[in-house]
Amino acid sequence: MGIVDHQGVLKGLMVQDAMRRQVIRLDQQASLADAVRATIKYKVNAVLVNDAAGEGVGVVSKTDLMGAYYADLPLDTPVTAVMVGPPVFCSATDSLDDALDRMREHRIHRLYVEGDQPRRAAGVLAYPDIVGLLYRFCNQCERNLRRQGGGGTALADRFTLREVMTPGVYTHREDDSLIQVMEGLAAHRFGAVPLANQEGVTVGVVSKTDLIAAYLHGLPAAGPARDIMSAPVQACDQEETLASALHTMIFADIHRLFVYKQDPRHLVGVFSLSDAARIRSGTCRACVVSRIKIG
Amino acid sequence: MPTVAREVMETSFLSLSPQATIAEAGEVFRRAADTAGRTVFGLMVIDEAGKPVGMLSMYDIFLLIRPKHIHIWGEMEDLDVAGIIDRACAKAKQVRVSDVMTTDLITISPETHLLHVIDIMIKRHVRRLPVIEDGRVVGLVYMSRVFRRLLERLA
Repeated sequence: MGIVDHQGVLKGLMVQDAMRRQVIRLDQQASLADAVRATIKYKVNAVLVNDAAGEGVGVVSKTDLMGAYYADLPLDTPVTAVMVGPPVFCSATDSLDDALDRMREHRIHRLYVEGDQPRRAAGVLAYPDIVGLLYRFCNQCERNLRRQGGGGTALADRFTLREVMTPGVYTHREDDSLIQVMEGLAAHRFGAVPLANQEGVTVGVVSKTDLIAAYLHGLPAAGPARDIMSAPVQACDQEETLASALHTMIFADIHRLFVYKQDPRHLVGVFSLSDAARIRSGTCRACVVSRIKIG
Repeated sequence: MPTVAREVMETSFLSLSPQATIAEAGEVFRRAADTAGRTVFGLMVIDEAGKPVGMLSMYDIFLLIRPKHIHIWGEMEDLDVAGIIDRACAKAKQVRVSDVMTTDLITISPETHLLHVIDIMIKRHVRRLPVIEDGRVVGLVYMSRVFRRLLERLA
């Protein structure tokens, strides 16, 4: 267990403090359909591909599977056709800060944790795994404003979504084709996109998960995005606190929230659990020092 | 004492369509339990052509219900979770059986020897095995039933 340090909340922590031990893996013979099913069933964004000896040789993410849908690859194509390899490994005893830096450097969202034998994954670390740690430190932090019972003042002093969200929302029209939506998501590196109707009002959202499920169900990619959208959109007002947004995400079992300003029909930003982890600080202003340093 | 799968397999069993939703599957699980007079932990998924395409087990449904961020919960003492099970179930209900079923089926033939059946159950951690003849499922061999028959010989 690390030390709570206001210069950086995660200082002194190791990968093993945050990693997950359940690694979802497929063998090289597995099909794209198997990979889509694994991501849906285990609620993961990527699956490790192992060779016959059990060594990790590649990673297939929802983005890669969406690419397969876009390229109209048959569902029985082996995963090796779209996987990205080799996987990037780290060690369980690496510092969490180093691991986060490596993720940023490689522009990847997860690191596999090497076990006793080389290239064999004993765990996996992704951004949302770190959010739990941030929470633990918030709860233990002496300077936690909510614990001090400051009432209204403390609440006002916590981060609001407005301060931590990614401003601006990239949207599609509800009658755009799945092909167009996939192009948009790939170009902007987003996981989901809200759909707007003729009047510009948000009516639903299409995520990579929705797209790869459509792929598995054999839906034509030329069809309208509206057919596979989820509604209503999970959204919060920009004046809500970061802590409350995290609660909403946990409760709805999602990792992305759209943000609106007063009117839920018009979105102004987006906030994800990965963003929460990238901030590397907790949910109140006691962490502001570290946030400024990293930001 | 029976010696091959054919002699211990259950020949009357309910199955699921791959297009069914989890809500519909839940209904079949309940019906199967009523019919069998015991809890049913897994059902075969069979397509329109009668071909076995997968198996849906209790474990698959548990995985679907388990929140993505369950590991964060322990850190959030102040999290109000009232109603969260209903929320998780509502989400799971709409998912299709084909999206979450297990597709790498381990199957046996009616003539598979019972000691082979036991060996497969031990090595592959499965509790039930579909018995396939001419590409169709003709029965299911349950671990419990094999054990019961074995007990007769162990007495």
